[in-house]
Amino acid sequence: MNIGITLNVNGKDYPLEVKPNEILLNVLRDRLGLMGTKYGCGIGECGACTVLLDGKAVLSCQTLAFTAEGKRITTIEGLEQDGELDPLQQAFIDEGAVQCGYCTPGMILSAKALLDEKPDPSTEEIKQAIRGNLCRCTGYTNIVRAIKKASETIKNRGRN
Amino acid sequence: MSSTRVISLDFECAIPRSLNEALEALDREGAQVLAGGTDLVNNIKTNAARPRRLVYVLGIPDLDTITVAAGSLRIGATARLGDIEHNREVLSRFPALAEAINVIGGTQIRNMATLAGNICNASPGADTPPILLVLDAEVEICQLGGGSEIDRSRLPLGGFFSGPKKTVLKQGQMVGGITVPLPPKHSGAAFRRLARVSLDIAKINCAVYIETEGDRIRLARIALGSVAPTPVRAPTIENALEGQKYSERLIHQAAELVAEDIAPIDDVRSTAEYRKQIASLLVREALQQAWRRSRGEA
Repeated sequence: MNIGITLNVNGKDYPLEVKPNEILLNVLRDRLGLMGTKYGCGIGECGACTVLLDGKAVLSCQTLAFTAEGKRITTIEGLEQDGELDPLQQAFIDEGAVQCGYCTPGMILSAKALLDEKPDPSTEEIKQAIRGNLCRCTGYTNIVRAIKKASETIKNRGRN
Repeated sequence: MSSTRVISLDFECAIPRSLNEALEALDREGAQVLAGGTDLVNNIKTNAARPRRLVYVLGIPDLDTITVAAGSLRIGATARLGDIEHNREVLSRFPALAEAINVIGGTQIRNMATLAGNICNASPGADTPPILLVLDAEVEICQLGGGSEIDRSRLPLGGFFSGPKKTVLKQGQMVGGITVPLPPKHSGAAFRRLARVSLDIAKINCAVYIETEGDRIRLARIALGSVAPTPVRAPTIENALEGQKYSERLIHQAAELVAEDIAPIDDVRSTAEYRKQIASLLVREALQQAWRRSRGEA
């Protein structure tokens, strides 16, 4: 049984035929070629597969593709606007918050969901927001600093 | 062979637009509710579940509402944990429920998973059943009656679990919502859990609800998880507390009785011995906080 669905990914509509057992993560990577979203543990523990669904961070490895129909899906590829990095991406570079890079897309998307909802989070709120994202290079300090910096960039931009 | 990357099992899916349609689709051998999928998708990946047909319920309108009416809080079947945790009524009237939800998984899991799903998964160590048990929650069970009317019955949560990962739900039935009576003045609740690191499943958890009268505990309800095949109440402690004047000594002595009410096992997360010993400490801490809350303190 195939289902005809349209997935809206990073603002673009993709008409697709999927099987009920197809996982969103694999559709994004293998069928749409969006390799930024990572497969980590596959059982909802590591957060490497995090994407935004209608602005909320969810795990694409636990999401059946057909259930994402009608929702706005944002992957790491969708953050850059007109060749300019999102403040979070820039801050991750500036603060050295990327080591091996495998957790970075998920980490940034969890942070993005946080900043969109709460532009000026406390350190504790940042830690809560990325509690479901594991970084095995142990780079949390720089990651938290990068998210803080991005929040300041966004604030200052609003002022100008 | 199981893989966590792809699902090899083939199944059908139904995408109902109403509760009626969902119940109709569920009334077939091998049909199972799919909500947030945070338990079910893992179970399918690891061959712990082999559904023939998934009935996806998150697209049903208005099944996720959280309302206060007729002296109760009602949480719709598809309300996500994250929405419940941040709901104003929940935060102001049921802080211990918000706390029990907040410790579950990461933000992503709570954005996806539902409270009804946490209950239906019926894990003995789940974090929401103990607090729901002490708050006297009822599960609303829906099924199709004659003439495609929906029959709704309410069952106290204590009667809902029938074993580890097992509930009394039958084929064709589905949880429509969970109701919790609004607590009166001079009452307080608290939740405690112990896990290795914050994302882990609990080694043990416990919840307490008390109603007080002056310096006495009028009523006490205590429940624990991960200490028996299902989440359990602790009647021995409850009896030792009710009608008594609150004191540190009283709750210390009462909490020591917890071993009478629980039957923990050794498993990967902890040992029976440790669980028995630590249970009394958790009960004591929860009682202290519930008492403070009953007096309007944090």
